[in-house]
Amino acid sequence: MRKVYNILAVLFLLVSIVFAVLPMGTLAVLPVALALIFSGLAFFISEADAKKFPKILLILSVILLVVVLAKAMMPDEVATDTEFEQKKIESKNEDLKDLEELEGLE
Amino acid sequence: MKKWTLLFVLAFTVNVAAQAVKSGEKFVYSAAYNMSGLLTPLAQVKMETETVKTSKNTLLHLSCEATTFSKWDSFFKIRDTYESYVNPATFKPSLYKRDIFEGKYTKKEKYLFKGNVITSTVKKKNAPETTKKFSIGANTNDVVTILYQLRNVDFSKFKTGQTKTFTVVFDEKQMNVSAKYMGKETVKAGNLGSKECYKISIAAKTDKLKGTDKNLIWLTADARKVPALIKFSIPVGTGQLTLTNASGI
Repeated sequence: MRKVYNILAVLFLLVSIVFAVLPMGTLAVLPVALALIFSGLAFFISEADAKKFPKILLILSVILLVVVLAKAMMPDEVATDTEFEQKKIESKNEDLKDLEELEGLE
Repeated sequence: MKKWTLLFVLAFTVNVAAQAVKSGEKFVYSAAYNMSGLLTPLAQVKMETETVKTSKNTLLHLSCEATTFSKWDSFFKIRDTYESYVNPATFKPSLYKRDIFEGKYTKKEKYLFKGNVITSTVKKKNAPETTKKFSIGANTNDVVTILYQLRNVDFSKFKTGQTKTFTVVFDEKQMNVSAKYMGKETVKAGNLGSKECYKISIAAKTDKLKGTDKNLIWLTADARKVPALIKFSIPVGTGQLTLTNASGI
């Protein structure tokens, strides 16, 4: 059983790393929570001499949880996109030309 | 005399109807996408109105813009704009534009309205530009205009389940879109606080919208009818737009 918990903890830890890198927001908490549960279970049922590996997994899970929560709490912002802003100005000038042409046809 | 009375009534009706939408409005939304049951904020959506003057006319510029939050830009960048130039009194469009930039997909669409004829220009990525002329019904409008026209409907006189039908032109095709009044609900409306809203269900015979009563709009039950919350169900998933800030109302 200890092996199963260790494998599951490693698996969810890997998924957690991917989710922590991606901008998944609170969704990333899900695999981290599962990694925490399984590494915790593996730690508690392990013999004293076999606690080292699940302990590392547990520490990594806690670190990832902190990272994910910190990222989730950061405000959602839109980057200043000068190219997009310029495109909008050009588009508006084009629109005015089209509208003037359209009115000329009336 | 009868003619003048009719004209006055018509003019008054149009004026009252147009009052909900004003020039200088700016609504900012946070768009979230449903991922494994959790709503993940993905983009900012802005809806703005502005007065535009040409040499002959004064038009109302309606624009809707979607921009992914900076953290998503490296993975899936979205810069979409939907805009329409309409007559401020009748909301009849003159020009409709759609500029899509979603990851690697791009599409540009322009409709020039002249009477009941549309001249459309479409340019998709890796495809030549196409131009087409087609006729539309007298009351057919583009999607942006319909969204704003919805705010001009007097839902206070509607009974639950009552519908209003619009005809919209999208992807060079006309289709009927119905708005069903589903009663009143109180929802959070960003800086406006909690607001009593008209709950409206949008339906259309198209594969772009999924489910029954899954595409919903909550409009504040006041004179401005600000869209406070929008829930959508499309082929690629579900999500919602939550109003974060409303100004110029």
